[in-house]
Amino acid sequence: MTPAPRGVTLRGVVKRFGSVTAVADADLEIRPGELMALVGPSGCGKSTLLRLIAGLEEPGGGEILIGERPVNDIPPGDRDVAMVFQSYALYPHMTVAANLGFGLRVRGTDRGEIEERVERTARILGLGDLLARRPGQLSGGQQQRVALGRAMVRDPGVFLFDEPLSNLDAGLRLRTRDQIASLHQRLGTTMIFVTHDQTEALSLGQRVAVMDRGEILQVGTPDAVYRRPASLFVAAFVGSPPINRLGLSGTDDGGVAGGPFRFATDPPLAAATLAVRPEDLTVTPPSFRPDITPPVRADFTATVLRVEALGSEQRVHLDGPGSATWIARTPPSLRVDPGDPVHVSVAWERTHLFGPDGSRVGAPPRPIHILRDS
Amino acid sequence: MRGRAALPALVAAAFTAGAAVTIAVAARGLGDAQAAASGSIARMATELWELSGGADEAAQSFLDSGFAIEAVPAPPASRAGPGKPPSGPGAYAYRAGSLQPAVWIAVLPQLREFPLPPTATALALLGSLLMSAWAVARRRAPPRPGYPAIVALTATALLGTVATTTHHWADGELEALSDRHAGHALRAVGAALALGADPERAVRVAGLPWATSAALTRPDQLWTMPQDVGAALAALPTPPTATPFTVEAGSATWHAGLVALPAPTPTAPSTAVHIALLGYEETRAPTVPLAATATAASLLTALILFLLPLSARPPLLRRTVTAWAFLAPAALLLAIFTFGPLLFSLWISLHEWHLVDPVHPFVGLDQYHQLVLDGDWWAALRNTAVFTLHVPLAMAVALALALLTRGSRRAVRLARLALFLPGITSVVAIAVVWKWLLNDGYGPVNRLLGSVGLTPVAWLTSPEVALITLMAIGVWMVVGYQMVVFQAGLAAIPRDWYDAARVDGAGPVQRFRHITLPGLRHTLFFVLVTSVIGSFQVFGLVYVMTEGGPLGATDVAVYHIYREAWEFLRFGNAAAMSWILFALVFAATWLHFRLLERRAADA
Repeated sequence: MTPAPRGVTLRGVVKRFGSVTAVADADLEIRPGELMALVGPSGCGKSTLLRLIAGLEEPGGGEILIGERPVNDIPPGDRDVAMVFQSYALYPHMTVAANLGFGLRVRGTDRGEIEERVERTARILGLGDLLARRPGQLSGGQQQRVALGRAMVRDPGVFLFDEPLSNLDAGLRLRTRDQIASLHQRLGTTMIFVTHDQTEALSLGQRVAVMDRGEILQVGTPDAVYRRPASLFVAAFVGSPPINRLGLSGTDDGGVAGGPFRFATDPPLAAATLAVRPEDLTVTPPSFRPDITPPVRADFTATVLRVEALGSEQRVHLDGPGSATWIARTPPSLRVDPGDPVHVSVAWERTHLFGPDGSRVGAPPRPIHILRDS
Repeated sequence: MRGRAALPALVAAAFTAGAAVTIAVAARGLGDAQAAASGSIARMATELWELSGGADEAAQSFLDSGFAIEAVPAPPASRAGPGKPPSGPGAYAYRAGSLQPAVWIAVLPQLREFPLPPTATALALLGSLLMSAWAVARRRAPPRPGYPAIVALTATALLGTVATTTHHWADGELEALSDRHAGHALRAVGAALALGADPERAVRVAGLPWATSAALTRPDQLWTMPQDVGAALAALPTPPTATPFTVEAGSATWHAGLVALPAPTPTAPSTAVHIALLGYEETRAPTVPLAATATAASLLTALILFLLPLSARPPLLRRTVTAWAFLAPAALLLAIFTFGPLLFSLWISLHEWHLVDPVHPFVGLDQYHQLVLDGDWWAALRNTAVFTLHVPLAMAVALALALLTRGSRRAVRLARLALFLPGITSVVAIAVVWKWLLNDGYGPVNRLLGSVGLTPVAWLTSPEVALITLMAIGVWMVVGYQMVVFQAGLAAIPRDWYDAARVDGAGPVQRFRHITLPGLRHTLFFVLVTSVIGSFQVFGLVYVMTEGGPLGATDVAVYHIYREAWEFLRFGNAAAMSWILFALVFAATWLHFRLLERRAADA
């Protein structure tokens, strides 16, 4: 029933629109049966990449393979791919059944088989009652499911999703996300999923490809992308609240320093950025006197600006280190108020240092000297 | 709310219909009376004219009192009025006559037999009752006691008022006319007797309907003066030239006339207005002002009926009145310049309305009936239908061009401009240029054909080719405009649909069939309807290029109507044609809506 899933391989794919480079030299290997999320800010080229795979855009260079087959010169309909569009792109003058069966009909599939497949798909997606309706008579969520069904009905080797959830409200988005995940488990088909929402990408993708300005910056599991971002951009783009950053400048002895911190680097850097996830900061209220009873080593002190109590967690906005404003994620049990001076310690083994070009510099930094505020 | 809004409208409609029937009956009677009077007076004049040899002073004085003799040629025998069109010397009198008075005596008994006010009132009452019952059934809220009754009473009272007023008006009008006519007749008797005619001849001259003891009898029984009355008249010492007079004859006393009659003065009220201009004459019958007054009264009544239910709720009334106050200027303009002429043309189409003929007798649907039998009119309609076949062809070409000239390259933009130009150029300019291009003798097209050894074609002078030539030019003219509209339609089709279809495996032809055509359906519908209507109304091309020829091969409906009105001056007939054409266009458009738009609405 379900054909073998196909992998997708991009080799040095380039796409230019006039003087704008939408996709620059993209290399990407998507394994058969994998759910790959393409994520990046708007205009980063992720949709163009998807359209290149679908065959809706002609690459300016490079090679695209679906399965083992180069598809550069193969029209979209013959690539064994199906696509779900952001706007759903349902044909408004056709019933749901006709929308679902259109891809089969234009291929000249036998009428009985079309009916059978449409019915099967409708059953899976719970569209059975809607087959005689037209898209205009459906709710957004129903339209989304029809668009999904139109892709499913042809049993393609690769599913392409172009921001399929962005037109749904928050609750429906979560449910549809689950639905797509379970669909992927059930069908085992290769799925490529474009989104600008990093949470969505991390929650759905088995692997995530982060793009910016037409370049694929990092490909990896959600965990890898989150914990070991390859660049400052990836670090900043992935994660909410965003990663804390502090600009560092080179010192005479070849290290970098900023705020209360100072690091040795090898080779020497002219400038660098320290990045720390909010959960990697430990905030100690002032009643603890670490200088008297030091259960926790304090890396810097700061003043609380604002406290966001979110129930399961708490976000503490700090006016440091240095001139930066950092956010720490703390247990809700921590009692601090705006204006409180606090001591903050950093889980250095989970911090990141990025060079002036934004690329990752070696292992997590260890401060050689912490300048005490006071 | 809907029921409440519909009720006054329906009541108003019923009322207007009732009033219209009432007025129509009265006007019809009045028109018949006028026609009869015209014939009667014409006969008198003819007889007197013949009796006197056209020279006698007495006859002349009679004629002078109500007639102006003009030496104009006898009119074409086109009128099918009551009685035969007169001929001989009397035709002059007939033609010049101010065809004003009506024979009250001849008409009134018939009118009396139709008890107009009671019937109309009964009709109105019945309608109002039905309407009230309907209103009670429709109202969701419990009916306010008395509401239906108020509506019913108002409608009844208003209709009764209109009916009575109309009746009185017609009555008075006919009475006055009959007085004048009786005066004419009596003076004609006197003139005939003075000319030395024997009493019987004098009676025949007058053709006077007689009344016995002031009781009116049917005119057909008393159209001829009894012999003994004629003898008694002749025996009078001086022939009676003024009324009333009484003649004793046999055992009865005969009263002639009802009141004393002065010679008709030109300014007599309700006399038809006689206009003579450049050899054409027109008489404006008093029925037109009557109709106008009645229409105004009906509209006023409809307004009152509309406001009546609202007056129970002052805020709503205020809002409605305010809204209508703002709408009034536009509504007034529409009424005067759109609906007014429309209704007037309908009125004309029911009358024999010839520009050189001052009377416009009511002929009902006769002209429509004649048109159904008129081969030329059918040919014009057929030519129009054939010409309209250029619309689908033009649309196909325009769609192809629209698909070909998408994009913004310079060459494409220039091509679009070139194709669009004919659409914004004056039809007359286009027609003149094409007429020159396609001229048989010196036209460049034929010279080009000749220079490459082909036989020249009689583009506009051959009955087989001329209409096809016009159709081709029609295509050329509309294609650019249609193309631009199609392009707008194409631009409105989301690109995603095409992308989805491509991923679904649809080729270019399938994409055109399943995405482009359904996506353009509203545009196609719009272009089809407007183009077909435009094609039905084609005029300029034909007027300039072929004038309907050769041999009527390009005589299309509007051109035919134009000729009927402005060359043959038969406005009544032309108006009837216009209404037939309107009905056809309306039917065609309605069919389009039914067949195409309903399908589109399903989609």
